[in-house]
Amino acid sequence: MIDLSLDRISKRYLIPDASAPRRWYSSLRSHSTEMWALQDVSFQVNEGEALGIVGHNGAGKTTILKLLSGITAPTRGTITIRGRLAALIEVSSGFHPELTGRENVYLYGAMLGMRRSEITRKMDSIVDFSGMEKYIDVAVKRYSSGMYVRLGFAVAAHLEPDIVLLDEVLAVGDVAFQAKCLDRITTLRKSGRTIVFVSHDLASVYRICDRAILLDRGRIVKEGAPRAVIDSYQQLAIPSPDAPELDPDKPAACIGISFFSREPGDVVRTGYPMVARLRYRASVPLCEVAFRISLYWPSGYLCAQLTSETTGKIRNLEAGVGTIEFQCPVLPVVPGLYRVDVELEARGTELDLRQRCATLCVEPGKGASGDFYIDNTWDVRVDTASRESKEKRQA
Amino acid sequence: MAPENAPATATNRLPPTDRATWNPADDQHPAATNRRVRRIGPPSFSLGTIFTGLRTLAQYSDLFYTLSLFRLKVRYKQSVLGWIWAGLQPLALMAIYTFVFSHVAKVNTNGTAYPAFVFCGLLPWIFFSGSIGNAVNGMIAYPTLLTKMYFPREIIPLSYLAAGVVDFVIASVILAGMLMFYRVSLTWNVLYAIPVLIVLGIFAAAIALFFAAVHVRFRDVGLALPFVLQVWMFATPVVYSLQAVPQRIRGLYLLDPVAGAIDMFRGAILYGHSPDPRLLSLTAGLAIPSLLLAYAYFKASEAAMADLV
Repeated sequence: MIDLSLDRISKRYLIPDASAPRRWYSSLRSHSTEMWALQDVSFQVNEGEALGIVGHNGAGKTTILKLLSGITAPTRGTITIRGRLAALIEVSSGFHPELTGRENVYLYGAMLGMRRSEITRKMDSIVDFSGMEKYIDVAVKRYSSGMYVRLGFAVAAHLEPDIVLLDEVLAVGDVAFQAKCLDRITTLRKSGRTIVFVSHDLASVYRICDRAILLDRGRIVKEGAPRAVIDSYQQLAIPSPDAPELDPDKPAACIGISFFSREPGDVVRTGYPMVARLRYRASVPLCEVAFRISLYWPSGYLCAQLTSETTGKIRNLEAGVGTIEFQCPVLPVVPGLYRVDVELEARGTELDLRQRCATLCVEPGKGASGDFYIDNTWDVRVDTASRESKEKRQA
Repeated sequence: MAPENAPATATNRLPPTDRATWNPADDQHPAATNRRVRRIGPPSFSLGTIFTGLRTLAQYSDLFYTLSLFRLKVRYKQSVLGWIWAGLQPLALMAIYTFVFSHVAKVNTNGTAYPAFVFCGLLPWIFFSGSIGNAVNGMIAYPTLLTKMYFPREIIPLSYLAAGVVDFVIASVILAGMLMFYRVSLTWNVLYAIPVLIVLGIFAAAIALFFAAVHVRFRDVGLALPFVLQVWMFATPVVYSLQAVPQRIRGLYLLDPVAGAIDMFRGAILYGHSPDPRLLSLTAGLAIPSLLLAYAYFKASEAAMADLV
């Protein structure tokens, strides 16, 4: 069964034109520029499927969620929704500052379509989930922003929808709370709910979704397995080498990075060789340069940093475009998705820093459990002394 | 699981009330077969949206109740006098109008004491103007509600209207005291005030929905509204009686449902008159279609509100 279907959806926003001469009637006339947030977007989500939507800021991800949740209507096309839908878009935006936490649970729950009796029944569980027993009867204007979000998500987590829309909700709260949220999403997933997940966090998309869509400037450019879509997204992530330099004052920039095993395109696996190929452009000759590639766990914790300083080989660069290759004979990191930062330095001053510009996907290779893989060989040798004593006993 | 959609075959689960604590983890999604299918397309103005709109509104009836309740709670939070304000406002207006229209200039009241006379007109008027003013400004008071949340938007203006009804009931207690003080004898015809107020409520809803929808796009509405309401009040028989209106313009004058409603309200309460059936049907005949049109207009502009606010 198809739970969600978008049929040739387009959405136009009218941006008031600031340069047009302003008259008292200007707001009545169409002195505005058209901006198509979505153009001819069609896709379907099956019952029980988790679909991820990735893309840059402004690619149209949030517009899709707003259309699905009914906050705004399409300019063209039809959306068909089968079942009860819950949108977890910026939880806690429905809170009223003057009301207490408990009153807001009723208010926000009702906005999400829950019945009062249902909320009363789940109140203890909601308060428990949020971990805010002490402050539940305090006006929420006295809450910290983290407390807002926790209470908001706690309410939303107790919805019983057929279809769930998620938008970056995991990016809030402390690590323990994030884990709780992720747990809840996994539960929803296992119980057969249909999920649409919009995120910049590629690791979460990879972990949660069955299928993914890549949006670019309001159009679907790729659809398929999360792995493949994430790969295409990364090619969009850093402007290609022939794209014009954004900042001409910058003496140098990193313009592309790719990871592979032996040949470009090879899957990277734990325990096997890995090559990181970094493209750079320098407009002036540079000396005492250092390239750094940092790998982060999805939690944001630094997993490893590779730096060209240790080799001593790369010291001076001539002006122009070139490639740096980092080679690792045995990759020690465990399977998963890593966020990648790239940094270029000359004489201790930072020339270019690209945060989270790519994602490294490591597939299972040689068996490793724990934090990392240690390259190893095994040998077995039986003691001669013990063999002799055994023979004696038999004799 | 949507309780209205839950299939009857889910017998292996305990009824929800038997569960002491609700644990999201032990929840299994039922194979929902009878789910509701919704289609969302580009917005359009049609009377058909009234029916789909009302059906959605019924599903969100709990939100309407909760929000109306909180309107009242929030209004008097951190105020010392609290609920007394609901009665204080009409009393203060009554005092000033009594000074002006019974001491400075005389208004013919058919022998009733002017304070009771004017209070009888102020009560429905304050309900009407107060609800509309709150509804229109409340529509944009929390823009994030429009841009980040989905629920039927008419709940925002209508919840202010519901709060206005409660204020009206509180102020009615003062009216009752006043009627006793001025020894106005009540008859069973007082009950005619109820249908009259329902018609007034319907018209207030129509005006509130229409202006609230326009206000999201053009903030001029909010700026013009206090002035418009001020003028409107003097165009209705609040401080004077309908008899004072010249006969030749009275037909035109009564095309305003508020004017008819206030006159009939006062007639029923102070003089024990039953409303003129022609006037009541004219007033209702104007108010009800206004509400239908205003609701259809509101539903047509609802989808664009998040983009405009």
